[in-house]
Amino acid sequence: MLGLVLVCLFLADLRLGSGSIGISDMLAHLTGRKALSDQQLLIVTRFRLPRIATALMAGAALPVCGLQMQTIFRNPLAGPYVLGISSGASFGAALVVLGAGATGIVATWSLALAAWIGAGTVMLLLLFVSYRIKDMMTILILGIMFSSGLAAIISIMQYFSQASALKSFVIWSMGSLGNVTGTQLSLMAWVILPLLVITLTFSKVLNGLLLGEEYALTIGVRVRRARFLIFTTTSILAGTITAFCGPIGFIGIAVPHMARFLLNSSDHKILIPASMLTGMVVLVFSDIVSRLPGTEQLLPINAVTSLIGIPVVIWLVVVNRKAQSL
Amino acid sequence: MTGTRTDHIVSVRDLAIGHQREQAILSRINLTVDRGEMVALIGRNGSGKTTLLKSMIGLLAPVGGICLLDGRPLEEFSLPQRARQVSFVSSQLVQLPSLTVEELVSLGRMPYTGWTGRLSAQDRMLVSRALAEVQMEAFSARKLDCLSDGERQRALIARAFVQDTSLMVLDEPTAFLDIPNTFDLIRLLRRFVEAGRSIVYSTHDLETALQCADKLWVIHNREILEGAPEDLGLSGLFSELFSSSGVLYNTDTGRFLVPGRPRGKISLEGDRGEPGKWTRSALERLGFQISEKQALKVRIESTADGLFWTCTGRNGTMRFDTLHSLARFLIHD
Repeated sequence: MLGLVLVCLFLADLRLGSGSIGISDMLAHLTGRKALSDQQLLIVTRFRLPRIATALMAGAALPVCGLQMQTIFRNPLAGPYVLGISSGASFGAALVVLGAGATGIVATWSLALAAWIGAGTVMLLLLFVSYRIKDMMTILILGIMFSSGLAAIISIMQYFSQASALKSFVIWSMGSLGNVTGTQLSLMAWVILPLLVITLTFSKVLNGLLLGEEYALTIGVRVRRARFLIFTTTSILAGTITAFCGPIGFIGIAVPHMARFLLNSSDHKILIPASMLTGMVVLVFSDIVSRLPGTEQLLPINAVTSLIGIPVVIWLVVVNRKAQSL
Repeated sequence: MTGTRTDHIVSVRDLAIGHQREQAILSRINLTVDRGEMVALIGRNGSGKTTLLKSMIGLLAPVGGICLLDGRPLEEFSLPQRARQVSFVSSQLVQLPSLTVEELVSLGRMPYTGWTGRLSAQDRMLVSRALAEVQMEAFSARKLDCLSDGERQRALIARAFVQDTSLMVLDEPTAFLDIPNTFDLIRLLRRFVEAGRSIVYSTHDLETALQCADKLWVIHNREILEGAPEDLGLSGLFSELFSSSGVLYNTDTGRFLVPGRPRGKISLEGDRGEPGKWTRSALERLGFQISEKQALKVRIESTADGLFWTCTGRNGTMRFDTLHSLARFLIHD
């Protein structure tokens, strides 16, 4: 079912954009009946396809991160960014854009790199903390405090920065699926795809953690190691996505709940792939909405995912009452 | 004390327990659990019952001393190995609304499954057998939020059953249960013990423990006393245990009594059989001390019309047909 929806949305998204190139034209090109012009081909392969590929990867990765965090913290409101990964990435980006004043094409790479380093630093710090502190609640609070602290520093930097630098930073923080092309895209794919396959193997451990760490220990789950693996994969996945696309809100929190609701299950063997698929559907759909079909305008993707995600979370919490727990 | 070392599934030596870096709550603990034995751990709130149980199975690091499991130090077991020896039922409520009973019970097979967590045919057979054992077969597809406390506790115990361990440790398993559910649960646990396995469980419920445990561990004045319920009864421990709280332990009946405020002495005539027992119990509950030849006296009369109680005191004699009306009269008069 979801797969079918995804294919439809995929095609619809591919159809959208300047240059009015229809699906039939593309099919004709593929089958060799009627070639697209070089310009049209460029639009499809350089802009439309990378954009969708980015949406698919981010859509699969963020919900998996959110699901893992919700299970390990036993908190339905946990998401990929609870550990402060997004703030770390933002801080890195802020340093490049606001601190060094880098703009333009050169900035894209250094921005991604700095965001990645920022996310990685936060991750290392958190791993260190989680090694020393046993209580997950403490780690959660530390993560949140960390985010708030970094946000405060970023706002100070924003206050003292130039208008043009401020604008580039704000645009980065609104998120974009369209800036990832060429080498960046293949680098992202090399990081994200293997990790997504690896997270599929975590289902047994995550199921064991459902009852809490104490029960997990007594049924033979190596909790420390599990925590390390889960924190690491989440940080790399969420950090990479955020580095290249900017922060994308609510996909990570809302989609696991949608998957739980759709499949009415707590089993991670089902939930992990279901979250990936649902996330891809939701993000491709959000991308279509953000393009405002029929117009030349673009909305920031972060705002669109939030506007789509928030009602879902509210509905689940208030009406369905499922999201109040895992 | 006879018996070889391997008779003990658990042997705790000179253990000191407490939370990290704090001072030990209890120290110099020496205890054993035999195979096929059910041990009840009794103690007041905050006396360290949970800490002891968790230290014993390696969920908390002990402050000092050693715990042997099947004659080997606990640390020598890897987590999966330990999970095949000891199962645990925590006192915390499990709240996972979208998990089914069957999924919950299946988690108990985790120490035996491969990295995918896939259940073999034998695993499934064990799960359905455990569900049958706790009379929950009909509930296997039920979600956890649709269960009563008693049913949820039975499901958690089935999860511990399928773990197929030689020791099961339960923290306050009867805390949320009413009396019939409590006895149901104890009966289930007894069956586990009869299969040659061992159980340690903590409880506040001394009365039930006295009736069904093979051995008691009683935490009292920061020490742990160990023995068969009757051994501890003989030592006069129970009267002492409750002396400060105002609860009386009747050494004849093995029952506890919470007396009302003292109301003086009363004589009881016709004190025979069941009517005598219950009348005595009612008078004691009200705070009367029963003794010979008092001005206030109660007489039990068994007639063709049924039981009657006559009460003779300063204001003459009154006749009652229920213990309740007698009690109301005695209190207000």
